Amino acid sequence: MQLLFPFFKWCDGTWVGETIRGSKYAFPVIEAIHLLGLTVLLGVMVIIGLRLFGFILKHESTRDLATDLRPYTWTSIVVMLVTGFLLFASEALKCYDSSSFRFKMACLILALIFQVTIYHKATTSIDVDKRPGFARLTAILALVLWFGVGLGGRAIGFL
Amino acid sequence: MMSLFEICQWLQNTEFGTSLRESIWMFPIVESTHVLGLSISVGTLLWMDLRLTGKFMKNQPISKVSNSVLPWTLVGFTIMTITGVLLFWCQAIKAYNSIFFKIKIALLFLAAVNAIAYHTTIYRRMDEWDKASPPPLQARFAGWFSIALWIGIIVAGRNMAYSF
Repeated sequence: MQLLFPFFKWCDGTWVGETIRGSKYAFPVIEAIHLLGLTVLLGVMVIIGLRLFGFILKHESTRDLATDLRPYTWTSIVVMLVTGFLLFASEALKCYDSSSFRFKMACLILALIFQVTIYHKATTSIDVDKRPGFARLTAILALVLWFGVGLGGRAIGFL
Repeated sequence: MMSLFEICQWLQNTEFGTSLRESIWMFPIVESTHVLGLSISVGTLLWMDLRLTGKFMKNQPISKVSNSVLPWTLVGFTIMTITGVLLFWCQAIKAYNSIFFKIKIALLFLAAVNAIAYHTTIYRRMDEWDKASPPPLQARFAGWFSIALWIGIIVAGRNMAYSF
């Protein structure tokens, strides 16, 4: 972690970080957008998760549903990453010391890797609905990882 | 007769309110559950609303999306209501003094009116327009209005943490 300290310090000192810190409204506005992004992203994950479990929208294949939802998934992920970085830049040194932040980043990296590998494979495959074990495991892992990111994020403000 | 302020004061100072506010773990747990519950409540309702606006899953009958999604939305709202009441209970004075809390309650009220209006009128005639593309104006309006209200509720709720 110490290797990364100069990076955190640099982020903290960028004009983006300083501008947001110096503004009364920037942080709350960005934070609110971050939260709306969370609603959409975790909402998508819950819907696809429930479909992978076979609980809802059974008349439509997981693949079709996921295809309909994919633009929302990736738009919300991009919104989260952009607003998240802005929030981070405004308090990078606080984040450096925060174990919640480290937990969040670990979950985030795993979640993103999972999203573009196994999850992508499951939600684009034709026969995932015939393999309930694989479908459910994928759903559980995705939900645990993404909710882990959310939980870690909320915890930054507490711990 | 107690004033609204006195009721808030009393509520927050009950033994339960005080211990929840001062707890190390319970308060963060309740607050986190309230935030993550957004995904199950608004996160699922959003797809119902988008279907109503005609922007999403156009080839699926509205009744099927509705029957699939709304039970989970209700589960989400139950979680939100319970944790929301607990959060209010332990910081009622802060809520009483917050303009954002008042905005949030007003918007929640409008969202309830919108939902009731939709379910008691056009929803009952769904047979006639279940597969219509685009859905009738009243249904599209209910969808867009709901999305706008929930964005407002989330933003107002988040901003209760700040005082401008």
